[in-house]
Amino acid sequence: MSCPELLRTQAYLDGELDGIAAAEAERHIETCAECQQASADAAQLSDAIRSAVTLHRAPDALRARIGAILDEEAAPRVVPFKRRNFWYGALSGAGAMAAAAGIAFVLILPPSAETLAQSITDDHTAALTSGHLIQIASSSHHVVKPWFAGKVDVSPPTPDFPDQSFTLTGGRVDQVAGSKAAVVVYRHGRHVIDLFVWPDRGSVLPGNATRHGYHSIFWKSGDLNFAAVSDTERHELEKFVGLVRSTPE
Amino acid sequence: MDARRQQFEALALPHLDAAYNLARWLSRSPTDAEDIVQDAMLRAFRAFDGFRGGDIKPWLLAIVRNCWRNASADTRRRKHTALPEEHDEPLLSDEPSPEATVVEASEGRRLNEVIALLPNEFREVLILREMEDLSYREIADVTGVPIGTVMSRLARARALLKEKWLRDQT
Repeated sequence: MSCPELLRTQAYLDGELDGIAAAEAERHIETCAECQQASADAAQLSDAIRSAVTLHRAPDALRARIGAILDEEAAPRVVPFKRRNFWYGALSGAGAMAAAAGIAFVLILPPSAETLAQSITDDHTAALTSGHLIQIASSSHHVVKPWFAGKVDVSPPTPDFPDQSFTLTGGRVDQVAGSKAAVVVYRHGRHVIDLFVWPDRGSVLPGNATRHGYHSIFWKSGDLNFAAVSDTERHELEKFVGLVRSTPE
Repeated sequence: MDARRQQFEALALPHLDAAYNLARWLSRSPTDAEDIVQDAMLRAFRAFDGFRGGDIKPWLLAIVRNCWRNASADTRRRKHTALPEEHDEPLLSDEPSPEATVVEASEGRRLNEVIALLPNEFREVLILREMEDLSYREIADVTGVPIGTVMSRLARARALLKEKWLRDQT
């Protein structure tokens, strides 16, 4: 009832056989009804799996948590060092105050700023991987800047720095901390730089951060918040930020 | 960021979806899958110096599978869990996941259920072959069994699916 060549037929269908073995398997299938049936079933099954079966994608929260775990794991020596400083400080009178102030700073300051750094990096990587990096593609600031009008509450600066090889590439609209943000997209060599611009509503900005190999730099200017995110070298990103900040509106 | 971390992320993070998909299909639970993948990525990072190059995906999936086995051994120790039985309750209907590919119509749902109900040793080879496109050699490495066993389990998995699903179609 069962053909002894079924496993070879399966290996052939799975692309596991090389030239001669594949040719032999092919010849056998032509003459064996059972293997023909198996081929048809396997093809039908494969198609059905590819079209109908759920491929689960890692949730963003999990991705972020793994990043945080790796952060902790990659820098294990920082923790005891900090603790020791804390206890040394706590033993001296004035130091205790300083240490207490330090703790308050850590606690009060920014879970929100921390999440902001994370969400901006996530937006950047999501845009990179989803293919929705650019909604308006243009290297002309006369095109990119007006495109944002009516789409976001801010009019972002869109300077171009071809001489420093930071080239304006386009723009998109994204969400940052609950506001719509204008994202001006630049290229620097093979790297993409996202410049996020959104209205400042008095939120605390995070310090400059590196997450998953992506650097982010935050600053405020006028009534706008800015963040530059990229996987380019940090000093390159700093140079880019310097150029943007020194360009008059 | 240190170079080791950077290299790990560049190589391993692109396979995070595959890791999660495998964990999800093996554990059949979104929360367990998250715990398994988190555990696996940490172990992978710690063991990264032992990674000898080549394709990192089978190496990573092998760690995911081990974490799943450890987790399910723990669960079994805590309480007796019944093996999947023949029944028609949709195991995957616990939540409609927004990130999931849209499964249209009952045909797709039925196929998902049938796969979810396959015994572990058949389910894992089928997922690795049909969803993750691993070769027999890679599947053998991930599951720790000889290639011949991979081939016979895969054939058995397909025969079971054929029996339970293809027959429904006709």
